[in-house]
Amino acid sequence: MNRIFAFTIRNIKELLRDPLGYIFCLGFPLIMLIIMTLVDQSIPKEAVTIFHIENLAPGVAVFGQMFVMLFTALNVSNDRSGTFLMRLYATPMTAADLTAGYIIPMLIIAMIQTVITFTAAFIISVVIGSTLSIGGILMCMLTLIPSALMFIGIGLIFGVLFNEKSAPGICSIIISLGSFFGSIWFDAEKTSGVMLTICKCTPFFYCTKSARSAMALKFDGEGFALPLFIVVLCTCVIIALGCVAFSKKMKADLG
Amino acid sequence: MFAVKTTKLTKKYKDLTAVDSLDLEVGQGELFSLLGVNGAGKTTTIRMLCCLAQATSGEAYVMGKNCGSEKGKVKSIVGISPQDTAVAPRLTVKENLMFMCRVYDFDKQKCKQRTDELIQTFGMQKVADSRAKTLSGGWKRKLSIAMALIGEPQVLFLDEPTLGLDVLARRELWREIESLKGKMTIILTTHYMEEAEQLSDRIAIMIDGRIAAIGTLSEIEKQAGAQGLENAFVAIAERGVQQ
Repeated sequence: MNRIFAFTIRNIKELLRDPLGYIFCLGFPLIMLIIMTLVDQSIPKEAVTIFHIENLAPGVAVFGQMFVMLFTALNVSNDRSGTFLMRLYATPMTAADLTAGYIIPMLIIAMIQTVITFTAAFIISVVIGSTLSIGGILMCMLTLIPSALMFIGIGLIFGVLFNEKSAPGICSIIISLGSFFGSIWFDAEKTSGVMLTICKCTPFFYCTKSARSAMALKFDGEGFALPLFIVVLCTCVIIALGCVAFSKKMKADLG
Repeated sequence: MFAVKTTKLTKKYKDLTAVDSLDLEVGQGELFSLLGVNGAGKTTTIRMLCCLAQATSGEAYVMGKNCGSEKGKVKSIVGISPQDTAVAPRLTVKENLMFMCRVYDFDKQKCKQRTDELIQTFGMQKVADSRAKTLSGGWKRKLSIAMALIGEPQVLFLDEPTLGLDVLARRELWREIESLKGKMTIILTTHYMEEAEQLSDRIAIMIDGRIAAIGTLSEIEKQAGAQGLENAFVAIAERGVQQ
């Protein structure tokens, strides 16, 4: 446990001291929150409901988590590219210690990011006169924990499979596709046919859907429970795959 | 008991034999240098002895512990400073050392004591609060060796510790390495003849994964029939290539 804690602290310090982390994990989502609110204020209220702050904030929170995926991938691939991990392999640290030490700090950072995003969203909602419910925000933040873990798991897998040069590129593709199919910038459910089918085939869609339902304090089966169940299921599978991939890579490195 | 003992230690990567039936014995407290050109098998040998690579065949023991079947025990008694400076770049010197202390499960008091001790030993007081990525190559190497010493290893592996350093930084690091002599067994790999000459009790010259010559400097000169380590190395290496 002591080793996991030590590695967690090391990773948190490394990430908090990287200025890029602030730009991507905080700056970019907050800018999107402000820009999309301005867009929402500039068009008729009934035209697009997806940019109303109660729908926008959960979407932007999911969007921000995608950058946590990017930083998880970068952190792991950077450690792999140098000999830092090799040094740790020669100590009593195990694959489980290392994996947990990568996941825990990213989860903490994802949660801090979510809190900041919703604080900003709350302030914006007060300014524009459609105050968000505190209960909705809290439920939404809790609902977003599994999706944060899912993105961290995806980052872990990419960090293991790709080097520090290609991992960010692959993550950027996922961020673009995820924000599109995740129904963050448009209402996928107002589309039909192939587009909706594709969205429903990705876990991103369910992340946003469950988060928006939680924000609206609507906990029905179709809008909340089922999407959340799908997210949790995907999270379990992806985290398990990430752990297996890391462990296999470690064995291969030590082969 | 030997600090390091290998019998017919072999490592193959597909068709390439990196280390070929290596028989090696290194006494406790010795500073032993492995010399060789690139691809001679020096780093692979060290990796197997640190449990960072699995031997294809043969046996390796560190302080009597088997590197294949007693990995945990071996890892707790060895320290390695890899070829690249394996440090956490955004942590300070002190934080890097504290981190390694925690990896070895030391309590708070021992972490502080060991960190202070190593900062003192390597004269790193003035850079103790500097981030590792801002350090010069020489300081980074010192930090890397200090990190390898955290666990109070009985056997220390230094893989090309002065590679890429300027002559002053190299000389300074030699003094640090010399100060460790006798306190633990040190296995050092290097390309620099004068480094091996200056620091080692015994030297082994590796060619194509095999030991072509082993002994003290004078014994190697005798085996090669040449004066000076560089001439002896060239004579042995050329003989090895011809064979």
